[in-house]
Amino acid sequence: MLKVDHVTKYYGDFLAVDDLSFSVNPGEIFGLLGVNGAGKTTTFRMIMGLLDKTKGSITLDGKPIDYSVTDQIGFLTEERSLLTKMTVKEQCLFYGTLKGMKKEKILSRLDELLERFEVSEYKDKKIKELSKGNQQKIQFITAIINEPRLLILDEPFSGLDPFNVEMFKKEIIKMSKKGSIIIFSSHRMEHVELFCKKLVVLLHGKTILKGDLKKIKSDYRKKTVLIEGDMTKEELEKQKGVLRVIEKPEEFEVQIEDMSVVDSLFSFVSKKKHVTKFVVEEPSLNDIFIEKTGESYDK
Amino acid sequence: MTSKLWYLTSVSLKRKIKTKWFVIANVLLALLLIGLFNIDTVIQLFGGDFNEKKPMYLVDETNGVSEFFIEALNQTEYNIRGTESSYEVTNYTKGLEEAKKEALENSKILVLHFTYDENHLLKTTILSKGTIDTLPYQILSSSIQTTKVNLALKESSIDIEELNRIESPATIERVILDDNTKGDEESAQMIMSTIFPFVIMPIFMLTMFLVQMIGAEVNDEKSTRGMEIIISNVSPKTHFFSKILSGNLFVFIQAGLLFLYTSIAYFTKTLIGGSKIVGGVEEAVGDMVHQILNSGVGEQLIILLPLIILLIILTFVGYSLLAGILASMTTNTEDFQQLQSPIMMISLLGYFLAMMAGMFQGSIFIKICSYLPFVSAILSPSLLVLGHIGILDICISIILMMLINGILIRYGLRIYKVGILNYSSKNLWKKMFQALKEKS
Repeated sequence: MLKVDHVTKYYGDFLAVDDLSFSVNPGEIFGLLGVNGAGKTTTFRMIMGLLDKTKGSITLDGKPIDYSVTDQIGFLTEERSLLTKMTVKEQCLFYGTLKGMKKEKILSRLDELLERFEVSEYKDKKIKELSKGNQQKIQFITAIINEPRLLILDEPFSGLDPFNVEMFKKEIIKMSKKGSIIIFSSHRMEHVELFCKKLVVLLHGKTILKGDLKKIKSDYRKKTVLIEGDMTKEELEKQKGVLRVIEKPEEFEVQIEDMSVVDSLFSFVSKKKHVTKFVVEEPSLNDIFIEKTGESYDK
Repeated sequence: MTSKLWYLTSVSLKRKIKTKWFVIANVLLALLLIGLFNIDTVIQLFGGDFNEKKPMYLVDETNGVSEFFIEALNQTEYNIRGTESSYEVTNYTKGLEEAKKEALENSKILVLHFTYDENHLLKTTILSKGTIDTLPYQILSSSIQTTKVNLALKESSIDIEELNRIESPATIERVILDDNTKGDEESAQMIMSTIFPFVIMPIFMLTMFLVQMIGAEVNDEKSTRGMEIIISNVSPKTHFFSKILSGNLFVFIQAGLLFLYTSIAYFTKTLIGGSKIVGGVEEAVGDMVHQILNSGVGEQLIILLPLIILLIILTFVGYSLLAGILASMTTNTEDFQQLQSPIMMISLLGYFLAMMAGMFQGSIFIKICSYLPFVSAILSPSLLVLGHIGILDICISIILMMLINGILIRYGLRIYKVGILNYSSKNLWKKMFQALKEKS
């Protein structure tokens, strides 16, 4: 289990991460969400031991993370961390050997991964000759080549098209099923919502949301109901418990105080002659973020 | 971690050596050195009118000087060029004015007009359409001087045996009583003129290679962010030492290759057996070895050689430590190039002081400078050969260099650890001084 316990990091007088705590069990995919400058990369660097913590502790299976366990960790950095003058094969051999792997093992694993990510033809090409998307694939391959027990992915989907996002997602899920501890960051909420069960949302280094994603959503009082029918905006606004009504071309987006309002609202709508839609939507992370911070995540 | 150190070192070394540019640079170096040693053979290989004899008209109004001159000219040319005379000499009888006309029409013709002055001493006028090159002019003036001497000897009725006695050089034996001041001005200048191109210049060149190699590599890994992956697997200390090791190994390999090329060039020269060139590379090497072995300094060098080599190695290590630390602080190659300028200046200081050591013999300032870390490796060998310093001075230089290296490792590593993962030049010096205070 990876445990981040009351970790704080100061750069001089600047507070980068404030009292961050979370834990990730084997087989879990954990999301670290936050806009640029929230403290995600700093957190990862502290986990990897690249940065010293000001306070707190970080352990893997109860032991501090040092160079004796880094062979079991895979790390994908936010920016490309490939030595562009090397070929794909040289790069993977280089990083694989630094992970303590034998040459034969690296080469067999490399062939398998290159095929899976559909980039076998680039094996002897120099990194600098590859497209951004393919470079990201190679970077991902170097991160997982040692079949890590702890996989840290800092913005893994950056620069990828939806097809490749799906490819990465499948691989990440596959690794979690094998028991890897996976922690990844993104500034895109939809990526975290894709397959994270647990998450932490950071803002200026502070934790503003934390825990199981489903529970966070169910605990969120405010809901949205999508209605399509022969009623007017004013009629909906008059209903008890309705906070706001947004009129869209084909439907009304009705924000309500809590789930108890759904029943009374449904009673009102069912009296109408033509009703073609009544959907109670879960709140998006962005809705929750707005409520917590008073500002939109995607601003 | 030790195996990772060697792995990083070998990868770093291969990245330098297994490049086409390394191969191209070394092929060019080898060809240039072999070419320089055999430049005469190369020139002859491409052909030219080397054997064509140039016409020389002697207008002799002295009645007999021309015979002495032809003999002197043949001897002088043989002594200097090692060949037969390159002139087709004609005793011209149509008069000076006619000879001038011919010389104006044919630029190859050289006219020598022999007369006596009012004191009945030989007077020679050399006439040519254009200018005369330095070497032919020296041969001519030397031949005329010899002619004048021979004429004077003949008029004084001195026979050949007496002439040989007069011309034979005086026997001079030099005995230096003080062992610490072996050598003399003449040999010192000779050694300085030969040690520079074959000892000081290579050290200077290799230092630049070393600094640039380490700087470029650290910057490459930093700018591509590959550093984060590397440092997440090996400690900054391991990474730092791998750079120092690979940099120094590269320099020693390059030095070995330079030595190999020089040896090949020298043996090629011996095999081909080209003609001797005044001031040629192979003559300079020969002179250097000859002077060192014969002046008595050679004996000192043999004793001190291990110490000098140790000092040079320690200095290379020092330069690589400095280059690594400075490179870690920079965020791109351009910044490092600016920072490496002071390192170049330190080397240049040693270079110029070594040059001046020959001019200001016994200078206390230069002697003190020879202890200075980084400068000592360039300056000390020269001062040692000149006899200005001894074992004790070299030992002091070694101890000081070791001390500096120790300080660089102890404190530089702290800067390196912070620097290699720092991508911003904002508050750079503040960050570095802060890093210095932290214990690693």
